[in-house]
Formats: sequence, structure tokens, C-alpha cells
Amino acid sequence: MTILGEYALWIALPISVWGMLLGYVGGRTQRGDYVLSAERSIYAVFFLLVLASLGIVSAFLGDKFEYWYIASYSNREMEFFYKVTGLWAGQRGSLLFWAVILAFFSTLCVFLNRKKNREFMPYVAGVLQTILTFFLVVLLFADVNPFEQLAFTPANGQGLNPQLQNYWMTIHPPTLYLGFTAFTIPFAFAVAALLNGRLDARWIELTRRWILLSWLFLAVGIIFGMRWAYEELGWGGYWFWDPVENASLLPWLTATAFLHSIQIQENRGMLKVWNMSLVLLTFLLTIFATFLTRSGLIESVHSFAQELKIAYIFLSFMGVVLLACILLIIYRLPKLQSENSIQSFLSRESAFLFNNLILLGAAFAVFWGTIFPLVAEGVTGQQVSVGPPFFEKVNFPIGLVLLALAGIGPVIAWRRATKRNLQKNFQIPIMVGCFVAIALWIAGARHGLALVTWSVCAFVLTVIATEFWKGTRARARIEGEGFAVALFHLVTRNRRRWGGYIVHVGIVMIYFAFAGAAYNVDERQHVLPGDQINITSPFGHIYTLTYEGLSVSLGRGQRNLLWQAIATVSVEQDGVAKGILTTEKRQYVTSDQLMTEVGIRSTVREDLYLILSAMDDVDGALSANSSAQGIDLQVLVKPFVLWIWAGGLILALGTVIALWPSVDRRRRSNRPELEAVTTGAPAIAGAAR
Amino acid sequence: MNRFTVGLVSVAAVVSYLIWTGVSETMVYYLTPVELMEKVESDRTFYEVGVKVSGQVLPGTYQRVDGELLHTFVVRDLADESVTFPVEFRDALPDTFTDDAEVVLEGSLRGDGVFEAETLLTKCGSRYEAAPEDLAG
Repeated sequence: MTILGEYALWIALPISVWGMLLGYVGGRTQRGDYVLSAERSIYAVFFLLVLASLGIVSAFLGDKFEYWYIASYSNREMEFFYKVTGLWAGQRGSLLFWAVILAFFSTLCVFLNRKKNREFMPYVAGVLQTILTFFLVVLLFADVNPFEQLAFTPANGQGLNPQLQNYWMTIHPPTLYLGFTAFTIPFAFAVAALLNGRLDARWIELTRRWILLSWLFLAVGIIFGMRWAYEELGWGGYWFWDPVENASLLPWLTATAFLHSIQIQENRGMLKVWNMSLVLLTFLLTIFATFLTRSGLIESVHSFAQELKIAYIFLSFMGVVLLACILLIIYRLPKLQSENSIQSFLSRESAFLFNNLILLGAAFAVFWGTIFPLVAEGVTGQQVSVGPPFFEKVNFPIGLVLLALAGIGPVIAWRRATKRNLQKNFQIPIMVGCFVAIALWIAGARHGLALVTWSVCAFVLTVIATEFWKGTRARARIEGEGFAVALFHLVTRNRRRWGGYIVHVGIVMIYFAFAGAAYNVDERQHVLPGDQINITSPFGHIYTLTYEGLSVSLGRGQRNLLWQAIATVSVEQDGVAKGILTTEKRQYVTSDQLMTEVGIRSTVREDLYLILSAMDDVDGALSANSSAQGIDLQVLVKPFVLWIWAGGLILALGTVIALWPSVDRRRRSNRPELEAVTTGAPAIAGAAR
Repeated sequence: MNRFTVGLVSVAAVVSYLIWTGVSETMVYYLTPVELMEKVESDRTFYEVGVKVSGQVLPGTYQRVDGELLHTFVVRDLADESVTFPVEFRDALPDTFTDDAEVVLEGSLRGDGVFEAETLLTKCGSRYEAAPEDLAG
């Protein structure tokens, strides 16, 4: 099976090259048989890549340690589940996994369009095969072949780092990869539009769902990663501005900009070059992220040398794609002229434009902070570093403006906002925002940035709630429906718009939670059994934590575990018992690193987060000697963390609503009056559709 | 188009300003122990200045001071074994810390020659890559 997988990879390469050439030539010469062959070659490559992936999985399951990849990421003791997901545990498997998902999406795209959009499909097939060819070349020639064999067969493998043996870590990378690869489809359509000259908003309409799908996976993937860091890394944070995290954030930021700017092209026929550039940029960033997340490039130029070959291949590919697309855009400039221009500073176009510029600014700041050490070292020879303080300093103000725009953009009028429009839409939300700030100040909140954030959150929420209220009320009146039914119909009749608002609600929740970090409480103490720690939460109540003791056990029952030390802490809140929390350290046979498991008690208001930082005497504690059970305990109180995960859920819900196929387009377009009533703006949106 | 350009330029200007001040205010030198020692020798004011240093924990020197939430160890230069300095760290160690780990410390060298680390990261902490060549032996 594994041998078969390796052969499959070699056979896939020429087929992919063949399909790539036929796609372009078929598009140029309009030869249907060429195009058909190009499309079928995608099915073939998908099949072969599935075979290759199965080859790797079967090597994992069969403990074939003669393969470098298996020996590095598995061992005999590893659970079935982690052996299967070992496919994406390391760089080599991840690249293969990336290719197989891309082939899957490509197959789906070609299949769905087998009878329609024929003017795009030859080039789409060509572009998709180009990218698949690239990944096959990387897999086969960049010293990252997952089928590479060792000169000897080790008795056992090294096993997966225990920190990666976590539920979130098995779903976080594939979710991100789904997001990265799904974005290739819009990119392929964009290039196809440049090649066939059909440069109206058609390529955007055709790929809108793919864009949303990609955006959804990216967002959810990033949140999964935060969740993993929070639960598993054991330092109480969820984001550290690590190069790897930044690399996944970058395409999300530019994809968010793109999602907004395409609405301007669809409605007003503007920003065509801009959108082309954004789709190109986002695609390149997904490739960059794929490359970066599984290599050590960014730590220093020095690690560059270790990955020279793959780095050169990736960078050349990105360079070629960039150059080719820029030339294509320049060639098509006459057809990419705006059909309209911005008439007023106070308009939805301008709000969206600002949103775009600021998102790109944020992306650039994150990118710059990530590569700055490399640049500075290259220029001055002196290594320097910028860390979380840099990213926070730059991104906090940018983030706040973005948040405010999430409230302004959806309701400000197209073209030119009148004074009346502004007053009607923003008077009450601004008042609510100010009121919240004052109320929080009176309640004792003194952290400036958090206050401003919460106040802007209230502003945005009020805007969105008002929109829902107006829309539902209007619909209830016109259709004579009850409020719940009216609300349901309102959302389902224009999923895209209301889904977008729901996404904004999710974003507001996440901002709200981020600002809570200003009120984190961090307490460290050395405790003996029976000792108590009193902690005052930012909400004023008092936690009394009693350290009950440390129980150390040898891992006889569980495979792979050498020993396990569990610290038990009972929790009281204002004198009321709230149960028991445990935090532990584990030592695995296969790793010389200790593993810390934190104890978390989540409530709507705050998380109580316990970390077993260090133990006085593990051997003494093993013999149940209570004087030897002293530990360093770190206690964190973290307000609102739960709201990040809840916000992520709402965001996902909103996106799914927005990308759900509309059942009834005709009926909606017959009722432009509803749009007009709810926005107070002329029904341009309806007319442009 | 004109307004577009104005918007572009002003946003770019603001973001550049933020990045510029951000970098100049938060940037720290990233040195090897050898470079750090050279710096403090040539310029006494370099003591107590925040820097980032990467080196390796000298095996056998790690100690935890019981009951004081304090970890001490000696870090040596990766290339030149003779250059070392003691480190004090008052926070939870990451799981990837071992007593011969490659570490990246952020903090400052005190006048008494002890490096007071505020953050400690282990190198390759985000990669979790393995090297199966080690299995040969």
C-alpha cells in the first residue's frame, strides 16, 4: 500500500503537467476535447493523491519505521487516532495533505461546473493544475518526500510530541489547510477572468461561496489554534504573536478585506484592479503560510540554510505567480476601469474602502513585525527582535477603528450619506456607546483601552440590533407575520446581508472578550497541603483555593506514561463550595519533556485557570509524604474568555447563513421595498443584483 | 479616484507611523552570550538594558529554589562554551524546557553579572520537529 502511494505521487506529476498545459491551450484554442482532458486530469490527480495519502496512513498504522516520516512522528504505543491524523502532524505529511485537499476542492469545482461557466473552466483547470504541479514538485524534489526511507529500520519511532496529542491540535491544522486551499478556487477564477477577458463581477459571483467557505475555515482554524494554546500550552494565553500564528492570520486579514471590497465591485462596478490584487495577495499569503507554519525559517536567517531547497522552490513559485499576475493585470487594465467613482467621503463605498485599507494596514504591520528580524539582520548584520508589545501597540488602535467601521459600514448610505441618514442611523448607537462607557466608569472600570473597546462594542451591537428590529418590524407589518416568523423570513430572504450582520455580532463578542484581558489577575504562590490562597476577581467576589495535596502515580496502566502528578485544589467562591480543580504534570516514556495539564473552570464571567508550575519533590510525594508535596501554584483569573469561543460559534453560524444557497432569488428581488425600509437608502443593492 | 488616493496615503501614513514608533519603542537586541558580554564590556551602560539572548542551558546547572518560585541555571554560548552567565527566572517554565535546552531569554543583565529573565522560550518551541537520525544509535 505504501509503495503504491509513492508510485501514485510519481504518476500524478506528469498527469498534472499535462492537464495544466491542456487547460491553457484548450482555453486559447477553444478545443473542447483539450478542455475535457484537462478537467479529467484533475479527477485523476485527486485519485492518485488519495492513494498517496492512504499510503502514508497505512504506513503509520503498520508501524513502518523505515520511513523517515513515520519514524519521526509515530511510535508503536501511539493511539490509533493519532496515527491516522499523523498524516498532517509534520511538514512532509502536511504538504501532501494540502495537495490532496486542493485536489479535492479542484475536483468538486470542476464537477460542479462541468456543464456551465464554460468560458472560465479551461483556464480554471489550467491554474488549478499549475498549483497542484507545484506541490507535486515540492513533494518529490524538495527533500520533503514523505515516502523517503531511512538507511536502517529503527526498532521504534520517536512518537508525536505529547503537546500535539490533543483534540484541538488534530483539528486545528486541517481546518486551516481547508481555508488555505479553498481560496485557490477564487484565485483560479480570477486568473481565468484575466485570461479570457470577462472582467465584470461574474468571477466574483461564481466564487462568492468559495470565498466565504475559505474565510470560515480560516477563522475557525485560527480560533481552534487559540483554544489549543489556551488549554495545552499552559501559560494562560491564547495568542502570542508567534510567526506561525501570524502567518495564519495574514491571509485571514486580506481575505476579510476582499470579502468587503467585492461587494463594492458587485454593487458599484468599482475597485476592479484592487480586487484582483487582493485575491492574488491572499492566495500568495496562503502559500506563504503553508510554507512558514511547518518550517523554522522565521526564527533566524540561520535556519534558512537548513531548508534552503524548499525555501527557494516556494519563493520562486510565489515570485513567478506574482509576476505573471501583475503582467496580466497590466495587460487587462483597459478592461478593469471603474464604472463609477466615489462621490462622498461619507458613503458606504468610502467606509468599505477604509475598512479595506485598514485591514491591509493591519496585515502589513503583522507581516512587517514577523519578517522584521530577518530584514534587520540582513541589512545590519545585527539580530534584533520585536515581540508581542510591538504587535499590540500597532494593532490595538487599528483594531478599534475596524470595529467601529463594522458598525458604520452596514448602515451608512451608498454614494452619499445625508445628514438625515447619519442622524437616523447613528444617533442612538453613539448615545448607547457613550452611556456604556460612563456606566462602566462609574462601576469602577478604569482601563482606558478596555473602556473604549467595550463602548465601541456597544455602539456596533446597537446598530446591528436596530437593523434587525427595523427589518423585522417592517416585515411583520407588511406581511402580517408574527415577530419570530418575520425575523426568520427576514434572515432567510437575504441570507447574505443578515448572515454578515451575525458575523459582526460574533466579532463584537470576540473583541469584548479580548478587552477583558486588561483585568487578568495573576497570582503565584508556593503552597503545602492545607494552604489557602485568596484571590479577588475583577468582579469583586473572592475565590478561596485550598491546596489538598499532590498525588503521584506511576503510569502502569496507561501506555507511554512514566508518571503523573496531580495537584488537587478545592474552590470556594465567596464561601460557597464550587467543586474541585486539578492541574497535573506528566512524564512520558518517549519524551524528556514534562507535560503540564492546566485546570480550568469556565464561567460566563471569567475563567479560573490553575497551573502546576513546579513540584518540590516528586519522589517524596510518590510515597505519599505530605511534607514533600509542596508545589508552586499559579492562579489566573481571566475575564470573559468563554466569549471568544462563543463569538467564534456565532461567527461560524453567520457565515454558514451567508453562504447557504438562496432558495428563492426571484421572490426577494420582487420586494425591493423591504431593503429600502430597513436601510433608509435607495434600493441600489436590489437594483444592481 | 482622487479621494481614494487621499485615503490610501493617509491610512498608509498612519499605519507607517504606528509601525515606526512600535518598532523603535519595542525593538530589542537579539544577541548571543558572546555578543552580550562584548557589549557590556565596551559600554557599562548596557547593564540593565532589556535584551533578548539565545544560548544553551549548561547541563546540570538547573536548580529550583524550593518555596521561592525561583529557577536558576547557567546559560552558555552555543558556539563558545567558555562564555557563560547565571540566570534567574521567576515564572513558570514552559514544558519544552529541559536541562540542556536551547533557550531564548528576554530580560537584562544586572550589575552583579546575573541575567534576570522575564520571559523564557525554548527554541523551536513552535515547530515540534523531530530528528529521527538520533534513532540510529
